[in-house]
Amino acid sequence: MLSSADFLFYFLGLVSLVFGLGVVLFRNPIYSALCLVITMISVAGIFGTLDAWFIAGVQLIVYAGAVTVLFVMVLMLFDLKHEMKTFSKGVIGNGVKLAASGVLLGMLGTYIWATYATEPTFKPLPAAATSSIKATKDLATSLFTTYIFSFEVIGILLLVIAVGAVTLSRITGGTHHAD
Amino acid sequence: MGKDVFEIVVNCVKMLLIFLVMVQLVPILVWLERRVSAFMQNRFGPNRVGPLGLIQLLADAVKFLFKEPFFPEKGMAVMYYGAPIMALIPGALALAAIPLGAPFHLEQFTWLGREWGPYDFIMQGYDFGVGIVIVLGVSSLGAYSLLMAGWGSSNKYSLLGALRASAQMVSYELALGLSLVGILMVFNTFSFYDIIAQQTGMPLTFNFFGKVHSIAWLPNWGIFFNPLGALIFFCASFAETNRLPFDLPEAEGELVAGFHTEYGGFALLMFYIGEYGHMMVASALMATFYFGGYTIPYVANESVANWVSSGGLATHPNWAAFLTSLIFFLVFLLKVFLFLLIYIWVRWTLPRFRYDQLMDLGWKTMLPWALFNTVLTAVWLAFSHRPV
Amino acid sequence: MPINPEAWKVGLDHYLYLSSLLFIFGMLGVLMRRNVIVILMCIELMLNAVNISFIAFSRYAESTNGQVMVFFVMTIAAAEAAVGLALAVTVFKKFKEVNIRFFEHLKG
Repeated sequence: MLSSADFLFYFLGLVSLVFGLGVVLFRNPIYSALCLVITMISVAGIFGTLDAWFIAGVQLIVYAGAVTVLFVMVLMLFDLKHEMKTFSKGVIGNGVKLAASGVLLGMLGTYIWATYATEPTFKPLPAAATSSIKATKDLATSLFTTYIFSFEVIGILLLVIAVGAVTLSRITGGTHHAD
Repeated sequence: MGKDVFEIVVNCVKMLLIFLVMVQLVPILVWLERRVSAFMQNRFGPNRVGPLGLIQLLADAVKFLFKEPFFPEKGMAVMYYGAPIMALIPGALALAAIPLGAPFHLEQFTWLGREWGPYDFIMQGYDFGVGIVIVLGVSSLGAYSLLMAGWGSSNKYSLLGALRASAQMVSYELALGLSLVGILMVFNTFSFYDIIAQQTGMPLTFNFFGKVHSIAWLPNWGIFFNPLGALIFFCASFAETNRLPFDLPEAEGELVAGFHTEYGGFALLMFYIGEYGHMMVASALMATFYFGGYTIPYVANESVANWVSSGGLATHPNWAAFLTSLIFFLVFLLKVFLFLLIYIWVRWTLPRFRYDQLMDLGWKTMLPWALFNTVLTAVWLAFSHRPV
Repeated sequence: MPINPEAWKVGLDHYLYLSSLLFIFGMLGVLMRRNVIVILMCIELMLNAVNISFIAFSRYAESTNGQVMVFFVMTIAAAEAAVGLALAVTVFKKFKEVNIRFFEHLKG
């Protein structure tokens, strides 16, 4: 008997897969970007089924709310309605690429399947030991103690990136003329 | 969702009701907006149809419904029709995540010849614990409806309005989120219920270098702990909702009507509902974080429950519990309405910003001040608990 | 392989299958699309796929380390998108071109 959480997983997984394929296949990049948004939202839902609500919220804020908006805005500024060459040329090259992806998928799938075939009994999701508030507190604790160095490094990286992006956009002037 | 049929039905009806509250408040707000603006400009406003012009809303709704729907010649159908629907989603989902009243407990009761077990209901669509993160995440999706509308109409003015709108929303989201960090640090939790519980009942109580002080004539509200954060949050929420003085996306002097130039009739109405929904979410967050949520100042929650059960308003304890929760809901609605009135007041008072002024305000003023507020709160919290 | 109904119950392996499928989709996009912005989007897709497996592992191992990793991945992804888009915008302004093949001319 499948529980409602299982159905939720299958639904969100199907949505994310279909729209993830849409990102790759749509010829119009705007539609690709909108498909990416829906994939991001359903991935946030999948994080929710794994009780990572804080990460789900951050996924919505960062990915769906900021990064993808940036993509859509840039695409709209470019006005790339008429894209003739969507996919790369060459039958052999594309065949090799498809085959390589297929081989990788097969390897991953077989590996997962083989790992779980040795444990025939179903391993259920361990019950959420703590509330999501407590889980968020644990996350913050390990972020600010064990991983504090990485956290600081990421902060410096973000500063560098911000300066770099501003510099890049000022090369040709941007909306304001450099004076 | 629930253990049995009763709980599932109640929860579903509750979701529907929250959506309907959002939709049904819109005509009232439109009426309020027109009356208040008329009052401020020394006019009458709609006052012919019905008492105080209230039936005007019905006439407006009929007008919106019977307008001819049209489609721009080179538009993209999926985006053009998807955008108004998308406009409703963020507001509705975010409003459903905010507690609108106190949770209530129903004892076991007999109905239709069957025992119905004890239930606990929350006056809220859903509760994931980390409510505020979900609210911010969901309401950040609002930019897409504008972008889709702008692109789908295939109109230069629409596109410019949409690009302005999304840039504005993304920039002000930062200030909005950062201004809330201070109050989250003060209350030390992500949960709406904990935040509200800490603001209930007692007078303003705080630690000042190790000594506990209290001011009897002030309620224990968040705004007294974090006034700068409240100010930044309220200002940034104007930009988030694309209201005047930040309504650059639909600056009619420059862009005809911005992203909804090509829309009319019911689709336009849906954009309005989305905008007012955003306003309601911002007001509700303001009330929850800084003004005590659904609680009544100076009054403990239990005394309201006692007053309801002793005053003979409801005989059965279940009805009393429900009625108490309803009173809290009305209190919350009152607070939300006060903030919505301020929105309307500001709209008809301040002129519109220029676009570069808007961006400067967001990035060079609000963001640094929000960061300063965070640091200030952290320093205050670190030192105020220690004796000198 | 006999299909038993127990296999439909969602466990860690299902999340891993989903994650690897999404990853492959993103990889196909990176390999086969020509538009540099779509390639950036497909990289985001791949990062998302990896995030799913991180969160799933962290949930089933009952530790928060995976969530911390996802936090870092998201930060890096946002930074990468910002710089990648800034580069793409700069190149587009100068040459009116977003084809990834064109970027070969930038060498030397």
